[in-house]
Amino acid sequence: MKKTLALLLALVMTLALVACGGNDDKPADNSNTQTDANTPAPSTPDPAPEAPAGEKIDISVIASQYGQNTNKWWADFQEAFNKEHENINLTVEVVSWNDIYTVVNTRISGNTAPDILNIDVFADYQADGLLLPAKDYVSEETYAKMYPAFLEQSNIDGTIWAIPDLASARAMYYNKDILDAAGVEVPTTWDELKAACEKLKAYDSSIYPWGIDMTTDEGQAAFAYYIWNNGGDFTDADGNWTLNSDANVEAIEYAIDLVNSGLTNSDPANETRYTLQDLFGAGKLAMMIGPNSIPTYIAEGGSTINYAFAPIPTNGGNPSVSAGVMDRFMCFDNGHSPEKLEAIKTFFDYFYEDARYSDWVLMEGFLPATSAGGEIVAKADESMAPWVDIVGSCKFYPTAKAEWADVKQGVINVEQQALLGGSVRELLDALQSDIAG
Amino acid sequence: MSKVAQKKPVPAKMTPPRSGNSPAKRALRRIEPYIWIAPSVILMAVFILIPILSVFQMSLSDVSKAGKIKGFNGLGNFIKVVKGSAFGLVLQNTLVWTIAVVVLSTVLGFVLALILNNKFRGRKVARAIVVFPWATTLVIQASVWNFIINTDYGTLNTLLMKLGIIKQAVNWTPTPEAYFAWEIACGIFVTIPFVTFCVLSGLQSIDTTYYEAATVDGANYWQKLFKITLPLVKSSLTVSTVLNIIYVFNSFPIIWTMTKGDPANHTDTLVTYLYKLAFYNGRQGEAAAVSVIGFLILLVCASVYMIYTLRKGDDN
Repeated sequence: MKKTLALLLALVMTLALVACGGNDDKPADNSNTQTDANTPAPSTPDPAPEAPAGEKIDISVIASQYGQNTNKWWADFQEAFNKEHENINLTVEVVSWNDIYTVVNTRISGNTAPDILNIDVFADYQADGLLLPAKDYVSEETYAKMYPAFLEQSNIDGTIWAIPDLASARAMYYNKDILDAAGVEVPTTWDELKAACEKLKAYDSSIYPWGIDMTTDEGQAAFAYYIWNNGGDFTDADGNWTLNSDANVEAIEYAIDLVNSGLTNSDPANETRYTLQDLFGAGKLAMMIGPNSIPTYIAEGGSTINYAFAPIPTNGGNPSVSAGVMDRFMCFDNGHSPEKLEAIKTFFDYFYEDARYSDWVLMEGFLPATSAGGEIVAKADESMAPWVDIVGSCKFYPTAKAEWADVKQGVINVEQQALLGGSVRELLDALQSDIAG
Repeated sequence: MSKVAQKKPVPAKMTPPRSGNSPAKRALRRIEPYIWIAPSVILMAVFILIPILSVFQMSLSDVSKAGKIKGFNGLGNFIKVVKGSAFGLVLQNTLVWTIAVVVLSTVLGFVLALILNNKFRGRKVARAIVVFPWATTLVIQASVWNFIINTDYGTLNTLLMKLGIIKQAVNWTPTPEAYFAWEIACGIFVTIPFVTFCVLSGLQSIDTTYYEAATVDGANYWQKLFKITLPLVKSSLTVSTVLNIIYVFNSFPIIWTMTKGDPANHTDTLVTYLYKLAFYNGRQGEAAAVSVIGFLILLVCASVYMIYTLRKGDDN
């Protein structure tokens, strides 16, 4: 008796396991929505029937974790949203930047992509035909709020595929006390910058004059700062890659020369921007290029240094260019019903409501991507006002191009090879032929 | 009375299954063991076999950047990976990393086990302390090592300056090779406890009479070590070495936390390299190919080592 019972139990367990496997596949089947709408099989004991009339509409969101406040902000948002919209069941999953690409790619290959994703890149998903055009899931009023230049960053073949959620911009930060003590003026050109660094080094050799980050973390940012402020770019006006242009080679040679002359932090290939920010906050680094969130970072670190920011120094009379970083929302084409698309529109209307949106932006000290948000943020925080101007006019990485991931890793590799003694010209030539074919 | 009444039916109940040998029951008995192991087999298939197969499938497929399989690609991914400029360097790093960490930690762990096998005051505490590096997360370990060797705020520089041994902060990682050496040192540090405990368990099972007999015969310390101790702990050493080859070869956190393989792949091993390929470059097909190459290397190394040592053991 006991044996038979145990056998039965084992069988049940096995069946349960098999059943679990089967259930996982269900949401993946996009055709379900349609067939169920035609024949709403009422007697099936399926625990998750497709939404008949009156059922809640599920919206799943994966959001990136910008900082320590992000989780709580989204949790509050989800609660408030679900309370106000009884027919919608919103679930937001906040994932750290370290894991988000892994999580999203795993979900996509398992056919369980989220409905809405908040991340930096979008071109790869678009290339696979996974995304919906922005106009399909954003109401006209909300769409009209965004800075057009920002929307353009998500333009592929004339269609906008993603909408900006926030931005950050970069400028040169300098330690006023150190510069004053060494008798150095704030540099505006590359020649002035090098002269200033030499003077600072002569003044106190224990202080690093200039910070450079060429790590896997964010080496592409250094690449952008120097080439853009030397009149170079990643691409030409037609969108063709121009990685090995003369202006780019000259720019990177200049940056590498600063390192080799001992005017920078000692190990740019391994010291991330956060290490530099720590050094800057500790008064061991005189100048660095960094994002608008540095004041928050330094204040949280308990530092009391006297600092200010200025435009990034340029070369050859080119106007100073700030590097912008913009993140996005995108909507996966999971075979949404018209009702669901309406629900997603409701989500975005709610998110971009001016007061709520400026709260989102200010939460981690970022910059807004909507003009109304910009006005509110500039009013709410005076120190942000110059940044709101900067962000309207900065350049962005060419993230809409499918080769961007390879270019990004490629330029970091070029920088690191150059630090080890490689020729910038040869390295960039090789990268250009690798990328552009 | 009642006790007798209760006891009687029990043997009566036991008899029917013994005598009943119908074909259905016999068949059931034959498949019974399989049903018992079915849950674990299914679990293993779901969590081990399917992922391995899907990596093989991916390595032979054209995979889009978002992770969608687009079709069969033959050996295209493997050819691309092997032809890549960094692959040779990465493979060399992997071998250096694995051999250096496994060999040195095995030697040091063995010595440490011999010391801990002696009777001395506080032996239990010493044994507990040896476990610490093992019980701490690798990411934390690597971060701490990074903190120790940092040029600007590292504790090693601070300590040496306070002791007056150096006057100025020393850059302990002036070259990629130096950085890699520190990573290997960290790897050895965290691997030693495992070896120590494997060997210690072997040492404790050795009968002391062997040593007594050897002493009577006039054997010195080294003779006892090489003629008695080593042969008798060899099976534990084999286990620890094979497991270590696999763990160390596939170890990701130390290198990722300390250098991320920078600069320019000079401290990358196959595992960090494939992670970058998959999640930074979005080339999951090629990453899967690197993974398969690593799998095959490990399979060959581990099998050769095991066959070699086990056969030798049988001969003896």
